[in-house]
Amino acid sequence: MSVDEKKNSKRETLEQEIEAAVAEGTAGLEPSEAEKIREKVRARVLEEVERERRIRTAAERRAEERRRREEKRQEKHPEEGEMFQRFNRNFRFQHIVMFTSVILLIITGMPIKFPDFVLSRFLVNLWGGFHNSTIVHRIGAGMLIYFMVHHLFYTVLSRQGRRDFVLLIPTPKDARDLVQNIRHFLGKAPEKPRFGRFSYIEKFDYWAVYWGCVIMIGSGLFLWGESIALKYFPKYILDVAHEMHSDEAMLATLAIVIWHFYNVHFNPDRFPGTLMWWHGQISEHEMKEEHPLEYEEMMAKRSRQEAAEVTNR
Amino acid sequence: MRGKFLAAMIVIALGVGARGFFSPADARVSLEKCTLCHGKPEFRKILVDGKIRDLLATGETLKGSVHEKKTCVDCHFDVSEIPHRQRPKRVVCTHCHYKGNAEGAPQSDAYLEYFGSVHGTAIARGNTKAPLCQDCHGSHAIRKAKDPASAVARRGVAETCGRCHIEIYAQYKTSIHGVALSKQITEAPSCTGCHGEHKIYGHKDPKSTVFATHVAEQCSTCHASVAIMSKFGIDSEQVTTYQNSFHGVASKFGSRTVANCSSCHGIHDIRPPEDPLSMVNPKNVPATCGKCHPGANPNFAVGKMHVDSHKKESGVIYYTALFFKYLTIGTMLALIAHIFLDMYGRSKRLRGER
Repeated sequence: MSVDEKKNSKRETLEQEIEAAVAEGTAGLEPSEAEKIREKVRARVLEEVERERRIRTAAERRAEERRRREEKRQEKHPEEGEMFQRFNRNFRFQHIVMFTSVILLIITGMPIKFPDFVLSRFLVNLWGGFHNSTIVHRIGAGMLIYFMVHHLFYTVLSRQGRRDFVLLIPTPKDARDLVQNIRHFLGKAPEKPRFGRFSYIEKFDYWAVYWGCVIMIGSGLFLWGESIALKYFPKYILDVAHEMHSDEAMLATLAIVIWHFYNVHFNPDRFPGTLMWWHGQISEHEMKEEHPLEYEEMMAKRSRQEAAEVTNR
Repeated sequence: MRGKFLAAMIVIALGVGARGFFSPADARVSLEKCTLCHGKPEFRKILVDGKIRDLLATGETLKGSVHEKKTCVDCHFDVSEIPHRQRPKRVVCTHCHYKGNAEGAPQSDAYLEYFGSVHGTAIARGNTKAPLCQDCHGSHAIRKAKDPASAVARRGVAETCGRCHIEIYAQYKTSIHGVALSKQITEAPSCTGCHGEHKIYGHKDPKSTVFATHVAEQCSTCHASVAIMSKFGIDSEQVTTYQNSFHGVASKFGSRTVANCSSCHGIHDIRPPEDPLSMVNPKNVPATCGKCHPGANPNFAVGKMHVDSHKKESGVIYYTALFFKYLTIGTMLALIAHIFLDMYGRSKRLRGER
């Protein structure tokens, strides 16, 4: 039974209900007067229902679509189990803005650090010359600054943002997890460490981006507004900013290309990469594997809620 | 074979013919005839603009020059009767000077670059003030470029160029290069040292050795040489530090607006930084930087210009670079170790499962 059919059947019963209610209310009136009122009420109610229906069907159609997709996925990969929303839309948007800007910044910035590298000239000419390349670099910089501001607001204003921020603060457990993980790699510990919502690897990535953004945006602003900066600071401060910008760029690029790419692309579990950055969902199987503590917490919460619903009923 | 034989025959025939027409006796006669008029010291002509052209030319005129053994009509070959009625045309040096000539002139095609140069194209466009060969090399007193008395010798060429480029000559003469050259320092560049000899192009021509993006390379021919720079106590890494700087990289990628050596140090008026007239004297730095960075102030002069972050003299910049070097090495080693441990563990578990 499709959504529309459901709606139609509802509409019929609705009309009958209106009829019954109006008949009851106009019982003492003259038939012609009663007919008038009946027509008015009918028109008004149907208008309202129609409007409500138009609004809801679009949303419901999407929900239906999602449900159908989920069912198909369940049929295809039953071992994955239920899908959980790991990253909300806002968070995914931030990540997309960030990686777009970082890619732009790397391909327009690295040729300046390595002008003799074979690809450098190609990368500069890709934009139609050095001047354009510097403009693209500034566009990337603008995007990264926007990302940083957006994320700060997200951390402060959003409930999910605040919750995640607290969970991202390093704890002694992370050090223990690291030790246990290395022991596990070496075959000394039989069990993998049990991670919460964020493992120490993800925490490192998060804080590395923080550090990188602060250094790169801080020094980059000096270099962007060099005329203004030199009004208040001597030249050697700008040289320091230049050195920091250049060196931190190298560190960030290496960390992304080696560390982050290994963890999310070249790691045999993930190769060639997942679409989690796009749909933000994680399967039950992965959840149990990668974030067992969070999974347990979620399950406990769900059972508490169900119990509460039962008692409320 | 037959071709070569024919060619040889033609050369011999020409040689014999030439000897028949221009025997040494004829030549001497020719010189004597010319000096009938041109040998008189008072033989001169007043030109329309009031200038006086000295027309004295005796047997002594060519003495010491490379054309010592030539006579007047060897070059002024359009003079066929004496006295000549018309003014002889300007001498065309390429009549003899080309590769493969039989006149005994140097076998070189180097002068061909002249025709594409700013001077050669100006002549071709009909600019009568543009120089021909004889304007730089001299008309009668032509000497080898290596001869110090030559008009195109390293020491004298600036004066020769300065006959037309007067203002530039004045600037150059008081610059560090001009002063050094007048002090007999032979390493110092004259005009041709930077602009080239025959292949001189306008500085806005991309072929030019002093085109915006070629300047650093041109200066580096001497300024990157430890052998030359160590003699005068000048840092030979100035070019490298420039090339590694943002200015240098932008220039390398073809930016013409970015600063090159001469944007800051001057073009012909390069002076040492201690000189109060120098563009890179700390007092003048705000004005110099202000050409591109509006509102430049004395802060521009605080700190070294040619910074090398690998050198301890750079102070805080050196320590910043050092900090990031070890931070990068340390972080990357830890991360790569983690990756390899992960892979080691995975392969071990895989084997164990099988």
